Amino acid sequence: MSSAIRIEQLVKTFGSTRALDGLDLEVSPGEVHGFLGPNGSGKTVTIRILLGLLRADSGTVSLLGGDPWRDAVELHRRIAYVPGDVNLWPNLSGGETIDLLARLRGGGGRMGRQSVDVVKRDELIERLALDPTKKSRTYSKGNRQKVALIAGLSSNAELLLLDEPTSGLDPLMESVFQECVLEATAEGRTVLLSSHILAEVEKLCDRVTIIRQGRAVQTGTLDEMRHLTRTAISVATDRPITGLDSIDGVHDVTVDDGYVRFDVDAAALDGTIRHLSSFGLRSLVSQPPTLEELFLRHYGDELAPANGERERAAP
Amino acid sequence: MTGLTIDVLPGATAVQASHVDPPSGASFTGTRRLVWLVLRRDRFRIAMWAFGLVGLMAVSASSIVALYKTQDQLEGYARTVRGNSALIIQAGPGYGLDDPTLGAVVMNETAQWLFIAAAVMSMFMVVRHTRTEEETERAELVRAAPVGRHAALASAMIGALVVNAAIAAGNVVALLAFGLPAAGSFAFGASMIGVGMVFAGVAAVTAQIASGSRAALAMAGLVIGVAFVLRAIGDVGNGVLSWASPIGWAQSIRPYAAERWWVLVVPVAATMVLAVVARALQDHRDYGSGLVAQRGGRPEAPASLSSSLGLAVRLQRGSLIGWTVGLGSLAFFYGLVADQAEQMIEDNPDMADFFAQLGVASVTDAFLSTAMLIMALFATGFTVSSVLRLRSEEVSGRVDPVLATPVGRRRWAWSHLAVALVGTVVLTFVCGLAMGAGAALVLGELSRIAELTAAGLVMVPAMWLLAGVTLLVYGLLPRWSLAAWALVAWVFVAAMFGILLDLPQWLLNLSPFQHVPALPAAAMSWPPLAILTVIAAALFAVGLAALDRRDIAGT
Repeated sequence: MSSAIRIEQLVKTFGSTRALDGLDLEVSPGEVHGFLGPNGSGKTVTIRILLGLLRADSGTVSLLGGDPWRDAVELHRRIAYVPGDVNLWPNLSGGETIDLLARLRGGGGRMGRQSVDVVKRDELIERLALDPTKKSRTYSKGNRQKVALIAGLSSNAELLLLDEPTSGLDPLMESVFQECVLEATAEGRTVLLSSHILAEVEKLCDRVTIIRQGRAVQTGTLDEMRHLTRTAISVATDRPITGLDSIDGVHDVTVDDGYVRFDVDAAALDGTIRHLSSFGLRSLVSQPPTLEELFLRHYGDELAPANGERERAAP
Repeated sequence: MTGLTIDVLPGATAVQASHVDPPSGASFTGTRRLVWLVLRRDRFRIAMWAFGLVGLMAVSASSIVALYKTQDQLEGYARTVRGNSALIIQAGPGYGLDDPTLGAVVMNETAQWLFIAAAVMSMFMVVRHTRTEEETERAELVRAAPVGRHAALASAMIGALVVNAAIAAGNVVALLAFGLPAAGSFAFGASMIGVGMVFAGVAAVTAQIASGSRAALAMAGLVIGVAFVLRAIGDVGNGVLSWASPIGWAQSIRPYAAERWWVLVVPVAATMVLAVVARALQDHRDYGSGLVAQRGGRPEAPASLSSSLGLAVRLQRGSLIGWTVGLGSLAFFYGLVADQAEQMIEDNPDMADFFAQLGVASVTDAFLSTAMLIMALFATGFTVSSVLRLRSEEVSGRVDPVLATPVGRRRWAWSHLAVALVGTVVLTFVCGLAMGAGAALVLGELSRIAELTAAGLVMVPAMWLLAGVTLLVYGLLPRWSLAAWALVAWVFVAAMFGILLDLPQWLLNLSPFQHVPALPAAAMSWPPLAILTVIAAALFAVGLAALDRRDIAGT
C-alpha cells in the first residue's frame, strides 16, 4: 500500500449530469494534499465516494488500501471527516455532538468509549473558543463548523478528509485550524484538504490537485506547477524593446511609465531574457505565479466574463 | 391584513425619545410577495391536501346519496345514530337528524374528519412558514431584503386562508354537484375555513412561544386534541363545553340544519385575536428563538449517547413521549364512555337488530374494538414518521458524519427502526392500558384492563407492516418517501369509510388492519398476526438491502 488515496478514471453521474468525468487523484501517506476547484467541480462528490456514501459508476478507487464502498465500516475506523456544510442535530449541544461522533468512531464498544481523547477534545474546544453547552440549533455556521472540526481533529485517525473545513471560520480561527493541521501532519497523518481558500492551501499543502468539471486538470507540488506556468516580468531597458510580441510564449505586454510588463511561459523564459538583455537591462523584476494565478489560469475563461475588471486573457 | 395592524397613531405621545415608529404598516412590507412564495413552495402539498379532502367529501357524498334514497332510509340512519354517545364522540351531535335530510347525514359522516384535517393542515402550514423557516438560513435571506418584520407571519396566515378557502370551495362544489342545498353547502364551506383559520391562528401563537418548530407543532397539536375532546364531552353532555372548542364552533353553524350564520362571528373574531396576539408576541422574541428560551445543554454527552441507537433514542424520545401522552389520554377518554355504548341498545331497537345481524355479542365490546382500531390508526402516524426519520436525517446531511464513522448503513437504519418498532409497542400498550383503565372504571370490571391491553397489542404487527412498507419506499425510491403518508391516509379511509363507501372487499383487504382480530369483540387469532409479522420482516429485509445499494443523498 503506497498511496493513502488512489483514484483512477473515476466517473460518477447523476442523471444526465456528469459530476466526475474520469478523475485521477493520488494522495501519498503523510502529505497534506490540496484539492482545489470552484463550486460544483466535483470535490464534494469525490469525498462522498471516498466515504462510501456514493457509489462510483466506473473507475477504481482505493482508500488506505481498501475499497471505500465495500469496506466502508472497517476503513472508517482509520479516517475522520469534516464536512463543509455542517448540519447538526438541533437539540444536541455542541459538546454532546463532539462526544457522540468520537464515540461512534471508537467503534461503539466499551473500549471504544475509553479511546476518546478527552484531553485533546478539551484543548481544541479551548483553542477554537467553542461554547460546548449551547444547543446546536443556536450555533452560527462558524460554530457548527468548529464542532465538526473538533470532532474530526480530536480523533486519532490516520487520514483526515476535510471538505472546505474553514468556509465559516474567522481569520483567527482559521489560523488555529492551520496550526492543527500542521500538528496532525507532524504526527504523520495524511490530510486531503478540499478548499478554495488559496492562501490556506499555499500554506498547508505539499501537493495540489486542481479539478475542473469532474476531471483533474493539474496535479503536483506547487513548485512544479509554478514551473508549468507563466512568470510575470517587469523590466526597464536603456533602449526601447522591440520584437517582444513575436516571441512565442510572451503574453499581455503593456508599457507603463518606462517599464514593460508581460507574462512569459516557463519554457520561453530563457529566450526572452536573452532577447531583453540586448536592449541594455536597467532593472528586472520577476514574480513567480501565485496559486491564485495558477487557479485563475485554469478557470480564467469561466471567470473572465463574470469578472470584467480583471483584465486577464484566457489561456 | 388591515385587521392585524394596530399601529400607534401618528402623534401619539407615549413614544420614547430614541424610538421612532416606522410608517404605519411597514412591518408588513413584502407580505404580498411572500404569500406567492408560500403558495409556490407548497403547491404540491396543497394539491395533495385539496385532492384528499375534496375527494373524501365527493366519494362520501356520492355513496350516501346512492345509499339513502328514501326518507325511510334516512330515518333509519338517524335512529341508529341519534343519542348514541359513542358515535357522537366521533361524529358530533348530529344536527338535523331529528328530521333527517341527505345533507345532515353527509355532515354527520364527514364533517368532523374534515374539520380536524383542515386544522392539522393549517397548523403545519403556519409553523412551516414561520419557525421552521427561521431554523434554515433561508428566512435570513428573506428578512435581509426590504421585507417587514411581520411579513412572514402575515404571509403564512394569508397563505393558510387562501388554501383553506380553495379547499372549502372545492367541497362546496362537490356538495352542490350532488344536489345538496346551496345554503348548507356554503355554510359547511365557511365552517371549514373557520376551523382551519382558528388553528392557523393557534399555530401562529405557538410558533412565537415554543423554543423550536417541533415544539410549536406539538403545542398546536395538543390544542387540536383538547379541542376535539372538549367538543366530544360537550356533545355527549349538555353542549356547553363544545363552545370552548373551535371544532364545536364550526359544527354549531349547523349546515343543512337551519344554518346559524351568526356563529361564524366566533371563529372570525378568534382568528383575528390570535393573529394580533401572535404579532404582539413576535415583537417580544428574537429571530430564530421562541419566548420559551432554549435551555443550555450538557458540555459532555451522557453515557447513553454513545451509539447510533443512543442517538436515535435521543432524537425520537420527545416525539414518542408526546404521542404516548396524547393518544394515551384519548384512549382513556374512550374507555370512560364505554358504558354509553350499552345504552343505545336500550334506546334503539334498530341498533339491537343491527348488532345482532353483525353477530356481535356485546355492543360495548364492539365499541371498544372500534375505538382501539382508531387509536391504532392514529398511532400509525408515529410509526411512519419515526421510520421517515431516516429520510430527514439523510436529506439534512446529518447522516454523513455518522456514516463516516465505523457505523454501517444497516446499523444506522436499525437504530431508528428499533425506536419505531419498540415505540409502536409502547404506544399501543399504553393506549390499551389507558382505555382498559377507563373502561374498568365505568364498567366496574377490572378484567377490562388486561383485555384491552391485549386489544392494543394485537395491532402491533399491522403497524410494523406499515413501517416495513415505509422502509421499502425509503430504500427503493427515497424521493417518494413521503408517499408513505398516502398509505396511512388510505388505511385510515379503508377502516373508517370502507363500509360507507362500499369499497370492494379485496381493496379493503389490502389494509393490514383488516386482518387484525378485533379484540375484544372478536376472538383472538394468532395466524394472521404471524403472517403480518412475517410480511413486515420481509419488507424490512428488502428495504434494507435496497438502502445498502444506493447513494446517500447529499444536502
